[in-house]
Amino acid sequence: MVKRVFEKPLSWLERILFLDFIRGLSVTIRHAFSKTITTHYPYEKLTPPKRFRGFFGHKVVNGKEPQPAFDEWVERFKIKVEPGKSRCVVCMLCKRACPVPQLFEIEGEKLPDGRRVVSTFNMNMMLCTFCGFCVDACPVDCLFQSDIHETAGYTRKDSVLDLQTLERIGRDWQRRREEEPDRIWIDDHQRWRLWHENRPELPEVKR
Amino acid sequence: MEGLLAWLIITLVKILVILGIVLGIGAYLTLVERKVAAHIQRRPGPMVVGWHGLLQPLADGLKLLTKEDLYPRYGNPFLYNLALVMALVPATLVFAVVPFGPEFEVLGIKVKPILTDVNIGLLLVFALGSMAVFAIALAGWASNSKYALIGSMRKAGIVVSYEVVITFAVMGPIILAGTLSTYDIVQKQIEQKLWYLWLQPMAFVVYMFAMLAETGRVPFDVQEAEAELVTGFTVEYGGMKFGLFPLVEWYIEVLSLSAIAVVLFLGGWSPINIPFLGFIDPLFFLGPLSPFVWFILKVSLLFLFVLWLHWTLPRYRIDQITTTAWKVMLPLTFVNLVLTAVIAPLIWR
Repeated sequence: MVKRVFEKPLSWLERILFLDFIRGLSVTIRHAFSKTITTHYPYEKLTPPKRFRGFFGHKVVNGKEPQPAFDEWVERFKIKVEPGKSRCVVCMLCKRACPVPQLFEIEGEKLPDGRRVVSTFNMNMMLCTFCGFCVDACPVDCLFQSDIHETAGYTRKDSVLDLQTLERIGRDWQRRREEEPDRIWIDDHQRWRLWHENRPELPEVKR
Repeated sequence: MEGLLAWLIITLVKILVILGIVLGIGAYLTLVERKVAAHIQRRPGPMVVGWHGLLQPLADGLKLLTKEDLYPRYGNPFLYNLALVMALVPATLVFAVVPFGPEFEVLGIKVKPILTDVNIGLLLVFALGSMAVFAIALAGWASNSKYALIGSMRKAGIVVSYEVVITFAVMGPIILAGTLSTYDIVQKQIEQKLWYLWLQPMAFVVYMFAMLAETGRVPFDVQEAEAELVTGFTVEYGGMKFGLFPLVEWYIEVLSLSAIAVVLFLGGWSPINIPFLGFIDPLFFLGPLSPFVWFILKVSLLFLFVLWLHWTLPRYRIDQITTTAWKVMLPLTFVNLVLTAVIAPLIWR
């Protein structure tokens, strides 16, 4: 079998008749008359794949926590578990794993009955590189990255995700995409449907 | 006196019609270019302003007109503005000798749809064409910027090389027709039942190359060269002044040179030609309008071909361009000229 390594140089005939030009022109005319592949952005939107690394969220307690890790951490820190609230156990492993740790502002609160609960969880997205190390570090599958990528805001405060926002994103995620198989290919029509059914909103501007 | 008045009115109407058509179409060709470029790259192009972006040129013009008028502090304001005039006027003047159709009668007055049927029309075209180099050299010089100067130097080099080539390329049709008047060249082609393309294919190819080079189209757009020279000589211009240069260079000049190519090689307003036998007119049902439609059709097809080339080919290096001009194109045109000059008088007349 002969392997072709280089294109042969053009012969004189090819040069005189502009065959290389004609070959190129035939390619462009074929593309000119085929269907366009543009998504008309503000009117049409693509749903990113499930493993897309967008804005962060907190998954909430719904009985599908990774066991036995979740119970072990809850027992160790005496965490108060409440369905519908964040799974966070205030272990600080996300902050530990982060290359820019100051973007996390995590505080726990001790309740009168001696149990603890997460009270503050702020993430400053201005500093974030979306590397996903914090998600890998989370032992209870709480912190995750969602498919929200339209993250522009009017103030710097808009890009700080607080606990309520994180939980809201998590609830939204668990409702619409938690059960979905991990689709990473591009021509998946189901993703188009998914986007239009859900309208995840970012926090309102508060001044 | 009566005749003079009628002549004056007819000429004024012609000037207004030609200017209106050329400048209006020039603006809308930006949309055509964007659409063609987009579809070649499998994008839809402008879609938002108007139906399929039909109002986009107006929006662009409005935006460019309302921008702040800046000019470089250490540049030369007079030359800076003069360059614009020097670019626009010769390019538009070429249309004075473009024949749009055959002679017709309105209210008993015979009207030729050509502004001035001078007997040295083609000479005028190429004289005006070589004026374009002044505009670009002045724009580069007056901008007081390295990028602009490099761009204008490149362009000047290209235009100087290809001006020679294009002049020798059109010698063939001129010899065959025996006249320099654009109107008479088309008449001769119709009389001889022959588009000169069939006898002068080499001259046509060389003419197309020179046309691309003169108008700064790909593959000869080294004076633009977005990647290395920002946008070449227009880099210090802002607002509508910036918009005017591509308008002139890419649209009006391409349009005028396409029209001249149609006149010289494709038989002007004549329908499809079978060499030496006659003409076939599939548009006969348009009656007296058919020649005008044919002319516009040919010019627009040639313009679309230029666009198609633009969005297909890569860019040549400046030394490759001038080498092609002096070492390939010019000898080819010489050969063509000598062959035509020797054979044409023997067989032709």
